[in-house]
Order: sequence, then C-alpha cells, then structure tokens
Amino acid sequence: MTSGLAQVISSGILLPASFLQSGFFVILSAFVAINTIVYFALAVAKILPKVYLVDWIRGANRRSETRSIRPNAPIIGEVEEHVERREDDGRHRAGSDRAQ
Amino acid sequence: MRMGRFDRAVGVVIGATALGGALLLWFAVASGGLTPAKQPTEGFVVGVWTVFYNTQAPPPQAILVAIAVGLLLAAGLALLERRVSNRSRRSTDGQLYPLAAKLVMEQTRGVFAGPVTLTVLIPAYNEEDLLAGTLTSLLAQSRRPDRVIVVADNCTDSTVAIARQRGVEVIQSQGNTKKKAGALNQALTAILPRQGDNDLVMVMDADTRLDDGFLAAAVTRFTDDRALMAVGGLFYGQEGFGLLGQFQRNEYIRYAREMKRRRGRVFVLTGTASIFRPAALRAVAANRGATIPGTPGDVYDTAALTEDNEITIALKSLGALIVSPTDCTVVTEVMSTVRTLWRQRLRWQRGALENIGAYGMTPATLRYWAQQLGLGYGVIALGAFTLLTLLMFVSVDTWVWFPFWLGLGSVFVAERVFTVWKGGWRARALAITIVPELVYDLFLNTVHVKGTIDITFGRKAAWGRAPEKRRRQ
Repeated sequence: MTSGLAQVISSGILLPASFLQSGFFVILSAFVAINTIVYFALAVAKILPKVYLVDWIRGANRRSETRSIRPNAPIIGEVEEHVERREDDGRHRAGSDRAQ
Repeated sequence: MRMGRFDRAVGVVIGATALGGALLLWFAVASGGLTPAKQPTEGFVVGVWTVFYNTQAPPPQAILVAIAVGLLLAAGLALLERRVSNRSRRSTDGQLYPLAAKLVMEQTRGVFAGPVTLTVLIPAYNEEDLLAGTLTSLLAQSRRPDRVIVVADNCTDSTVAIARQRGVEVIQSQGNTKKKAGALNQALTAILPRQGDNDLVMVMDADTRLDDGFLAAAVTRFTDDRALMAVGGLFYGQEGFGLLGQFQRNEYIRYAREMKRRRGRVFVLTGTASIFRPAALRAVAANRGATIPGTPGDVYDTAALTEDNEITIALKSLGALIVSPTDCTVVTEVMSTVRTLWRQRLRWQRGALENIGAYGMTPATLRYWAQQLGLGYGVIALGAFTLLTLLMFVSVDTWVWFPFWLGLGSVFVAERVFTVWKGGWRARALAITIVPELVYDLFLNTVHVKGTIDITFGRKAAWGRAPEKRRRQ
C-alpha cells in the first residue's frame, strides 16, 4: 500500500505529480475554492424558500384606494401580492375541484 | 440625451470589470501565504476497497467570508433593484417617469374608460406552416380576444390567405425594411390612435401557443390595476428535440421558477406573448429620442436586435409597472440544432449588450448590467474550475476523494435537480447527471464571450430571419 501512495505522489498522466505542489496550482485551487463556496452559498439560497422582507414591513406598501379600472371596486394590495393571492385562490380552487 | 453612452464599449466595460474582479481575488489569494495541499490519506471502504482521500478544507474564516460575500452581493442587488423600481413607481416627475404608477393613478382617478378589450397583433413573415395552429390556440382561449390582426411583413407564401381564411384581420406592411419591429410600428401607428385606456394591445409571435387561461388571467390583472402597464408571458419549451431540447426546457423551467420567486417582477417582456396598455406604448413612442433611445414616434426600436428586451428597458426607464404572472404561460419553440441554438443565443447576448450600451448606466438598467457582469464572472469561474479539474486529471494517476468538496458538490446537484423538479423525470434525470448541464453551461459561456468580443470589435451581425423555422418545414 505504501508503494501505491508513493506512486500517487511521484507520477502523473501528463504532468508530474509535483505540479500539484507548485505555486500556480496552489493559488488556482484556492481561487476555485473561494468561488465554489460563493456559488455554493447562492445554490443554497436558491433551494431554500425565499424570504420577502416587504411582507413584514408594510406601511408604505398599503394601498389607500382602489386601483381597479372601476372607480367603485374594492381595494386589493400590492401587485405582487395580488399575483400571489390569485395563485393561492387558484390552488384552493384546484384543491376543491380535486376534492369533489 | 443619455443614449449611446457606451455602444461598443459595453463589451470592454463588462469584460474588464469581470476580469478585474477575478484578478483582485487571485492576487488576494496569492498574498495569503498558501501552503500546498497535504498528501492524500489511504483508507478502506467496507474493509475491502482501497481509497485515497484528502480531508483538507479551506480555513473556517475563509469559508464564512466567501459565503457572506455571495449572499450580500445577491441580497444587495435584490434590495437595490427593489428600491429603484419603487422609487420610479412612486415618482411624481412626469418628465422622467411619465408611466409612474402614482401619476397614472392620479390621471385616471374616478374615470371609467370602459371595460377591458383585447387586440392581438401577430407579426408574421412567411409563417404559413405555423400560423393556423397559433390562431387556433388563440381563438380557443377561455377569454377570446376581441380583435386579431396578422401583421404580414413582406410575405411571399400563403400567410395572408391563411389568416383571411380563419376570419382574422390582416395588415400588410408597406415598404418595410426594418423587419419585425418595423412592421409592428406600422401596424401600431394605424391602430393605437383609436385605442382607449383599457383597450389592450397584445403582441405575440406566429409560432407561439398560449396556454389556456393566459388571456383571462391577464385581463383580470389589467382590470384590477389601472396602473399596470404590461403583462409578459412566462415561456416554457416545447416537447421534443432530444437532449438539446431538454437542456433548453430545463433552462426555461429554472427561469420560470426564478420569476415566481421574484413575484412576477420581469426581466424581459417576451416577444412571444406580451400585453400592453396603449398608454405605455404611446409614452414609449413619445419619449424616444428624448429620455430613451430610438427614433421619435417609433414604439419599437428598429435598431435593436432584441426588440422585446429593449421595450422592457424602455418601459422600466419610464417608470412603468410590469409583471410576468405565473398563470400567463406560453409554449415557445426550442432550437433543434446546436447551430441554430448558437445563432439564437448569440443574437440574445448581442442584443442584451447593445441595449444596455444604448441606455448607459441608469437605475433601470442596473439589474441588466449586474446580470451581464455576473455572466462574465461566471465564465471566468467556470473556466477556472474546468482548468483545475483538467490539471488534476492529468497530474495524478489515482483517484483521490475530497470529502469537503464532495459535500459541497452534493448541494450543487441538489440545487440543479430541485430547480427543475416541476419539469418531470426527464428534467430531473438530466440535472442529476450534472456534467451534461455543465457542458451546456460552457457552451452558453462561449456564446457570451463571442457576443462580447463581436460587439467590442463592431463585427456586423448578419442575422437571418429565424432560419430554424424554415428548416422545420
């Protein structure tokens, strides 16, 4: 087994294994390592559910009048919230359809 | 006027900034007093197989700093984008932001301009093979359009006859040399003056099939929000075309997921199917040559290679509220060969760069600059990763396992699979194998570099009219 390990250290396919100890390779691997961790953090953020700060900070986002084309229509919240609300409605409808 | 500030220099700015960032990191790493990796350790799996492994991992401080940098960049950009869009929407500066929600609300308060109507424009250039199917899907929508107009541009086939046969109107372009954007401008000049505030105009491609419910959902949104200026379709790829098709479908699924997580905040109002309030189109035409680039009076910028991306930036620049809801979906064609995919993506990339080059660095284009910069840096990062992998392969003759990096790698695999989950088992199977999608990313990166080089050296792009369509016949 010791000879196997020695072989790993002493020989490569195209470049000598000592290349892995060279300054360029060490810097390159550290450069790639840091980039990989940055992209890793972004990948985790993409998997996890997104947190919407604006949901907790209302106030300025609250609507004070209807935005409908009909002046007397009821008030609905932010456009994005509106999008979400409709999707929720859709899901509920789909759920109740399935239940029937 | 702020137009033309960058033009060809856009490629240099993006390339130099991405490279500068990478060099900065490289020198920071080099000055850190690094030591070569430890020799691998010998071990056994199930007491039988001999394996070599290396437990070396970066110092915890470096890991934490890298994670913090990644998350802060992403969150900072998201917050900045949000702030820019909120500021323009709430602006009362009618000169700079004539479409700001606050102003539109004031102008239309207490006024009922009639119920929402829908006029669909379908620009078509020799689309006889696909037009009939498009019209069928359009007319079968639960909320039928009130008017359908095929904008026939220099057609030499039976496009016009097919349109008339299906009972829809036809406008034939006159002496148009500016392709799709020119033909649309002619049609819009004819119809816009008669459109009221709620008489919506939809522009859709002749090869696009709308999912049912698209028009109903969009009309509801425009009814509920008189400040809403445009709704863009969310596209996903058609079935077929094997592995190449699946690569593109996975890409579109991830884009749709991202749109949903952004709660519909649009990157691009797709040319495949987008609906506009007439006030938005009129404002764009009125402001061209003044606060936004283009020829005064033109709705679409005929100089833009990607006119849908350009009109999105134009609307955002004017403060318009635009969304891409998840229930407005369209099926778009996928490129059937590597060659056509190359051409399509090169056109998109070149168009995106030209657009931000023409607008310069403005609050509305900030997100697009950041996106290009992210793509540019991604080219370097993926290139460095590929180089490192290759160098390791040719320098060692025995496989060495790195548990730390394997752990990280498994998270990347999870992310790839998770983000295409909705695409079914084919999408997941492709994602879990990682390497093919990595190769596809390298392909897209090559397109990115080629596009950036082309624009820098001012190489003239000879873009044909969707050659892939004709090939499919």
